[in-house]
Amino acid sequence: MEKVLLKNIENPNSADIAEYMSVGGYQSLGKALGRNPKDIIDEVKKAGLRGRGGAGFPVAMKWTFASGDPKTPKYLLCNADEGEPGTFKDRPILEKNPHMLIEGMAISGYALGAEYGYIYLRGEYPAAKHILEKAIKQAYDKGFLGDNILSKGVKFHLAVHQGAGAYICGEETALIESLEGDKGQPRIKPPFPVNVGVFAKPTVVNNVETLANLPYLIEIGGETYSKIGSPDCPGPKIYCVSGHVEKPGVYELPMGTNLKDIIYTHCGGIKGGKKLKAVIPGGISTPVLPPDKIDCQMDFVNMPKHGSMLGSGAVIVMDESVCLVKVCYRALKFFEHESCGKCTPCREGTGWLRSILGRIEAGQGQEGDVDLLLSVAGNMIGKTFCPLGDGAASVVQNFIKHFRPEFEEHIRAKACMAQG
Amino acid sequence: MITVNINGKEIKLEKAVTVLEAARSAGIKIPTLCWHEQLEKYGGCRLCLVEVEKMPRLQTACTLMVTDGMAVRTETEAIADVRRGILEFLLINHPLDCPYCDKAGECELQDLVEKYGPTTGRFKEKKRRVTENLQDPVIVRNMERCVMCTRCVRMCEGVQGASAIGVIDRGGHSHIEPFSGNRYNCEYCGNCVSVCPVGAIMSRLHRHSYRPWQVKENIETVCPYCAVGCTVIAQVRDDVIKRVVPRIGSPVNNGMLCSRGRFGYEFVGDPERLTSPMVRKNGVLEETTWEEAIGLVAKKLAEIKDRNGGDAIAGIASPRCTNEDNYVFQKFMRAVIGTNNIDSTARMGYAGAQAFIENIFGQGATGNIISGLSNSDTVLVAGGDPTTINPILGLQIRACSRKGGNVLTIGHVRGLRNFSPVELTPGGGRETALLERIVSELVSRKGLPGSNTILESRIKTVVDAAGAGKADVSEKDYPDFIGKLTASGTPAVVIGKDLLQSAGSGYKLFLLCAINYLINGRLYLLSDHANEQGMLDMGCAPDLLPGYRPVGYAEFRKRYENAWKTKISERPGLNIFEMIEAAGKGDLKAMYVMGENTVFNLPDGANVEASMRKLEFLVVQDLFLTETARLADVVLPALGWGEKDGTFTNMERRIQRVRKTVNRAGMEDWRIIAEISKNMSFGMNYAGSEAVFEEITKISPLHRDLTYDEIAAGNVIYPYKGEPLRGAVGEIPLNKPETASDGKITLGIDRVLFHSGTLSRKSPALVKMYSESVARMDPGTAGALSLKDGDMVRISSKSHSIELRLSVDGEVEPSVVLVPNIFEGKGALSLAGNILDPVLKAPAVCATEVTVESVGKVSS
Amino acid sequence: MDIKDIMFSQAAIKEIEEIRAKYPTARAALLPALYVAQREFGWLSPEAYEAVSEILGVPKAIARGVGTFYAMYKNRPMGRNVVQLCTNVSCMILGAERLVDFLKNKYGLEPGGTTPDNRFSLVIMECIGACGTAPAMLINDDFYENLTEKYIDEILEKYR
Repeated sequence: MEKVLLKNIENPNSADIAEYMSVGGYQSLGKALGRNPKDIIDEVKKAGLRGRGGAGFPVAMKWTFASGDPKTPKYLLCNADEGEPGTFKDRPILEKNPHMLIEGMAISGYALGAEYGYIYLRGEYPAAKHILEKAIKQAYDKGFLGDNILSKGVKFHLAVHQGAGAYICGEETALIESLEGDKGQPRIKPPFPVNVGVFAKPTVVNNVETLANLPYLIEIGGETYSKIGSPDCPGPKIYCVSGHVEKPGVYELPMGTNLKDIIYTHCGGIKGGKKLKAVIPGGISTPVLPPDKIDCQMDFVNMPKHGSMLGSGAVIVMDESVCLVKVCYRALKFFEHESCGKCTPCREGTGWLRSILGRIEAGQGQEGDVDLLLSVAGNMIGKTFCPLGDGAASVVQNFIKHFRPEFEEHIRAKACMAQG
Repeated sequence: MITVNINGKEIKLEKAVTVLEAARSAGIKIPTLCWHEQLEKYGGCRLCLVEVEKMPRLQTACTLMVTDGMAVRTETEAIADVRRGILEFLLINHPLDCPYCDKAGECELQDLVEKYGPTTGRFKEKKRRVTENLQDPVIVRNMERCVMCTRCVRMCEGVQGASAIGVIDRGGHSHIEPFSGNRYNCEYCGNCVSVCPVGAIMSRLHRHSYRPWQVKENIETVCPYCAVGCTVIAQVRDDVIKRVVPRIGSPVNNGMLCSRGRFGYEFVGDPERLTSPMVRKNGVLEETTWEEAIGLVAKKLAEIKDRNGGDAIAGIASPRCTNEDNYVFQKFMRAVIGTNNIDSTARMGYAGAQAFIENIFGQGATGNIISGLSNSDTVLVAGGDPTTINPILGLQIRACSRKGGNVLTIGHVRGLRNFSPVELTPGGGRETALLERIVSELVSRKGLPGSNTILESRIKTVVDAAGAGKADVSEKDYPDFIGKLTASGTPAVVIGKDLLQSAGSGYKLFLLCAINYLINGRLYLLSDHANEQGMLDMGCAPDLLPGYRPVGYAEFRKRYENAWKTKISERPGLNIFEMIEAAGKGDLKAMYVMGENTVFNLPDGANVEASMRKLEFLVVQDLFLTETARLADVVLPALGWGEKDGTFTNMERRIQRVRKTVNRAGMEDWRIIAEISKNMSFGMNYAGSEAVFEEITKISPLHRDLTYDEIAAGNVIYPYKGEPLRGAVGEIPLNKPETASDGKITLGIDRVLFHSGTLSRKSPALVKMYSESVARMDPGTAGALSLKDGDMVRISSKSHSIELRLSVDGEVEPSVVLVPNIFEGKGALSLAGNILDPVLKAPAVCATEVTVESVGKVSS
Repeated sequence: MDIKDIMFSQAAIKEIEEIRAKYPTARAALLPALYVAQREFGWLSPEAYEAVSEILGVPKAIARGVGTFYAMYKNRPMGRNVVQLCTNVSCMILGAERLVDFLKNKYGLEPGGTTPDNRFSLVIMECIGACGTAPAMLINDDFYENLTEKYIDEILEKYR
């Protein structure tokens, strides 16, 4: 498949507007502005584009809700708070192809009637901030942003808003709170952001990768786009692979590429020819899979059938040398660190799980600890305010589901068997 | 109509409410912790999770709105597990120090665990340890016990609008702190204490001194401080007020209190309270018996009356005393002494302003409902900071802003600075011209409504006058200000005492009345005394009988004469300033001061003192040996707030019951006066305060037919069954002042949130919040005088000088030095001159010219 | 004198005011303004919060609550260079913990600590989005990937 989202990124000047325009950049914006906004939404609907942030929500539906709300102005927020551990798929777009994102946002803003956009960029990407700000200035200068885009009377303003290190801000209502200058703590829904979002106005929050799909989608049309990859959730998809593979990195492949193929074909298999032990397929909060369960199509529809989720498409590959108790412990340390503290089960439960895992990892586990872990996780699942707590609890549940003997061995032997 | 089914029970609802509210309306209890009826919904604790048909996940009852046909289950096995699980989570870090914790017995977590909780804990690790923070003198913070419901923060940020505390850090490390991490330095409303469900934020005043279940009496009464008249509940053990708390649902304050109301009750049992009457013998006040003291007062007053006539005697009533006290006092002066020489410190602005406004708009024009402010679309504030003078009223203005209303202020109002005010800060000299300009502009934008012809003719005079409407309005916010004022639909105008005590106050008040008329607003006149309104209602004024019947009209007088069975003098008496003057000249021979510290609370205290010293006979009846009491020939100790029954009338004209909370030997003010009266052969036989009130309801047309039972609910606002006075609009006096000369420094009264003066300075908690009077001045003015923050300065006026520490503060108006009137020997009023406004007859305290000089830097 | 004039350079005040103009509310400028304060003063001291609070008209307790919520705001003084090393799963399984030990043993740099010469502070990061080139770190605003002990030695040399 030709590269769409990662097009031209080997070019060291790919972030420059001239380079981007030389490969056809901003032509889709012109094309879109020549059409009715409603048509654009229909085109996106026809394409079957689903959000790439993790939940896979149909993009056209979100836009329709927001554009139908009479309140103005409307806001388009780009979720560039790529914080899910293992994920680094948006970073190349932000750093190498910023104009594709800007063009995508201008098209989206036009389609849904948003006059203002912000790119909520995670604080951990300082380089991207400068690149984006420069690119935005170039886009203003060329008339792709501003009060009168391409002299068509279309208004769309764009600015970068830098986050400051909070995973929870990937959740869209937390992101909105953070953009408003508050702590990133999720809001009660309803009302949903499409009606009452940032500054109490209709707001669409879309992921970087989602928005970067727009120029291409408009270029080839929804019909053609819908033929790429999985029929239920078509389009190109960036998979980012880390851990014990020969060639880790980002891979732009059709949505629904087989996980096994990603690891063994595209990434060259397990590093050093070691044995595969476990794969986290979609970022740390998606359920871990043992080696015999990785023959599955990586998309929103098929992954749940295999007991996991596509998530952000962040594949973490672990070979036989890895202690899964330790990985689980580290994951919970992460969730404890990132819990916003708003709801009881997440605030208290992540820390408790981490402390039990910590004592098992330290060789001080006690009999019954595995069941205690499951019980505590069970008291969290489905009871937390937002999916962060669910994610934390399900990590524990799934590690134990697939690798319980390793946990029990760890407790019994008071040491780690994996790392010797 | 919405029908929901909760646990098989059909519930019909008029409008969509939350599942929690629907359940409660049907008597179904769902446990909660972070939810609080005064606060925004949060959904954090997860205790109220319930099962809802057709919803895959459990839902929080406190956030989910009911829809027609919804089916909810709250008492399933699964829900019981959830509650147990959540409580287990809450307990993993919560110390089980209930035997030591003051909250035990009224702790919501304790109650929840008892009912729904796990019996054992499975958490084996170390609990979070945080040392109890005792850095603040009033509020103790114990973060080990905190369950992160954030009620306190939502209260502080949302309802109180102080934003003094916040959640610091995140996740399991979250904890709640004031900005400093130690001392609160906040508004000290203590409303965070009210809403804390556990022992995490508590008052230090009653720390470890009682258990909640040992409180035998919860006595509902009205706060002794300002004229808002908040309901407070005094919790008493062993005849000591242990704690004062608000009640949700009470009129006026609905569960909220301010610093004074919540923490200012300790004066009640203060060891310096007067216990026995005192009589001056050989120049020294000596304790004596009631019999001797009362006999002496009766004898001396009778003597002077016989010798010099009743008009040689004057009485000063008290805005801190009850209606009953004040009624009996003025009756004593009129019926027994035979004079209308009765007045009070309400003459410092409130009385004159109210009379002026009601002359224009009719009686009750300033008696608007306080909670109505939050529903106004625009609130115009002039002449002071409502959030310090009348804090709970101030909250309503903040609420107005939060609801999207406009807050417009003339002058900088610190307590509203975070509520998007549109401020015009003309400075003292230009205020009049600015107000004229606003009047002119409103007339040209909106025209004259045509309903009040006398007022309109006066407005025309102002608009036509040369110079009017040409004020310099270069301030950038002026267009916004005038635009919002013109467009307002339900405006309110709030007037503070600073305006009433400034130069040309009568004229400025007229201009504000004109503005109010042109925008069709409601007026609020701020008052810092609990019963200033009631005292005036009772006829404690030289020209008005109870219920505002003018003493000069024979047909009115007749009714009172019949009721009191004696003659009433037709001559209006002296006002308080005339009394002092007459005393100084020797024309006045005796004064009876009830519950007032005239030397401290009137301008130019040195002159007041010198004049009062010339009296042949001075009686002072008070709680403490005040500056004034020390001058007296006879000092009579009275029962104070909390020790007696009676009624207060707040600024809305709401008549409320004040109740006895503790037993103390002694007599109410009215009873002492009745005893003296008896000794002067005028029978005043009241069985109790209720009997006095009964007489009031027979005599004052405003109070007709009321009873204590009837007013107990707190919703009697006069005229309830009575009749208002609504005469034709009288003459509207206009007296345009000369413009003040520039370049001089003038005195301003700093009305400190934590103090009222006499009562607050005897309340240790309030003194800890603000323990030393500080003068405030803006950086420019201070800089021009080479004064620095922290300097000791001498502030001198023509009459007096005082030394205070200086605080350089960017929020003070240029060329003004703000001084509070709280502590003995350091009162702002001691500096003030006695120039009265010709219309309001209030002193232009804020026009006092002063000099400020350094007397050396003082460390710390 | 207002605290903001004592604290901020005129350029920084101007910068914050420009940021403010990008949003419909002053409050929304709080996160970027805290970044400016952090850059100006090295960390968010109480005075820094007060200064930001005064410029934006956001109550200082709120500013501090927000500033302590986010991991990248420094609420205590930091060394001249902040080493931000990721130890999340992808980095951990490729040896990030060994690097933590290395920094401790060779440079005396403990997680959360600062070297006595104030040259470096070490902050353990959650994922920094460099998992494909793990282990990785940021020093101040600069990314370094595929770290080894030897490479770290070379990198640290560049920061004095």
